[in-house]
Amino acid sequence: MGGEQSIPAFSRGVRLRRVDDSRTVLLVPEGIVNLNAPAAATLSLLDGARTCDDIAAALSARFSSEPAAIAADVRELIGRLAAKGWVVLRTASR
Amino acid sequence: MTHQALSLLAELTYRCNLQCPYCYNPLDLRAYADELAEDDWLRVIDQAAALGVLQIHFSGGEPTLRADLLVALVRRARQRELYSNLITQGTFLDDALLGKLVAAGLDHVQISVQGAHAPLADAIAGTAVHERKVAALARVLQTGLAVTLNCVLHRANIDEVADIIALAEQLGIRRLELANAQLYGWAFRNRAGLLPSREQVAAAAETVASAQARLRERMEIVYVLADYYERYPKPCMHGWGQRFMTVAPDGRVLPCPAAAAIAQLSFENVRDRSLADIWEHSRSFNAYRGMSWMPEPCRSCDRRAIDFGGCRCQAFLLTGDARATDPACTLSPHHALIEHAIADPGAATGAERLVPRRA
Ligand code: SF4
Ligand code: SF4
Repeated sequence: MGGEQSIPAFSRGVRLRRVDDSRTVLLVPEGIVNLNAPAAATLSLLDGARTCDDIAAALSARFSSEPAAIAADVRELIGRLAAKGWVVLRTASR
Repeated sequence: MTHQALSLLAELTYRCNLQCPYCYNPLDLRAYADELAEDDWLRVIDQAAALGVLQIHFSGGEPTLRADLLVALVRRARQRELYSNLITQGTFLDDALLGKLVAAGLDHVQISVQGAHAPLADAIAGTAVHERKVAALARVLQTGLAVTLNCVLHRANIDEVADIIALAEQLGIRRLELANAQLYGWAFRNRAGLLPSREQVAAAAETVASAQARLRERMEIVYVLADYYERYPKPCMHGWGQRFMTVAPDGRVLPCPAAAAIAQLSFENVRDRSLADIWEHSRSFNAYRGMSWMPEPCRSCDRRAIDFGGCRCQAFLLTGDARATDPACTLSPHHALIEHAIADPGAATGAERLVPRRA
């Protein structure tokens, strides 16, 4: 789940909503999920084109933190959302 | 606790072509005949978005009975970045309406069935619609729209919960809500006939739990408990006036969809005042906000920030005082009212037959 070659995208019925500078939420069927800053930064990079690795690379460039740790966090988050059905993964063809 | 409006239930009409005896709509349906016009509703959506509301649920009654209005409101909700959810029984969801709703930006639809099989489901709905609903469901799923299938459970259908889950599986539903009937409005009127027995509730809970484990990756099953059989009450509305508001078909703004029954309160109307004003300053929204209104045993209870003392509407319906601890709580001094009702469900009020909802 969330392997380096997979491309995550939000499922139908799931929307990321930036409420203001300090608050981003995930709007899901009949619910609202509050996101912490790292999760919000990660999910704002989901565009159905970037792979999990692309997202991790963009984040470690932005926050200049250790790439391997970020990649693990991204995969963990995406995997959790995929298990919930809020994110779908497709395999990158490259 | 700081209150922040996040979710608005827009009840477009209380009219409905079905007659479910578990309907939580009020008994005096005719009192709501003077329905808000499109301009009023558009203003409500604009004001809700400005107030910070993030999700809007279009419901009723049957909201697709006002199809043109519904499409216009979904479109406006999308423009205001609100997540829109349609709660419908599906009998009018033809391809034309579905297409318009999807184009307008609808995010999610919740469709209800009355049971797993036609004879019983049709008897509960009061008209032969089950097959038509299942066909509508299949069409909705084909559009790719996010769908929740809902079934309200009660004495007459709770034993077939396994079949309801099987129907959802067959259709390829990703999210299933199995909700024990909440006893307000017509459902309260029909309480004696709707309340399941303790054995029925226990068996259903077991069936649901094993299905949840078995289907974990394929289907989310949301199970709404029968609060009459629980130890503590439900955290109703996440606290009065904290997150939710309802706009009734006639424009009255309610802290809970069942609140109009509370005779101790009167409710402001969006025709006269802004949503923000009502949310922040009305007597009704402030009546049970926070915790300072609480009587004992809630006032000194550890769980008061978890369940907020339960449901004000249920407290009123059962005790005549909306401030009372929800009698569903085993710590309530009025809990005997619940014990009496469940001691012999079906005979508690002597009402043997279910009364179909009607105007
Ligand atoms: S519960 Fe039944 S009668 Fe009530 S609005 Fe829904 S479908 Fe109509
Ligand atoms: S006494 Fe009040 S706060 Fe405590 S569990 Fe019961 S309802 Fe909740």
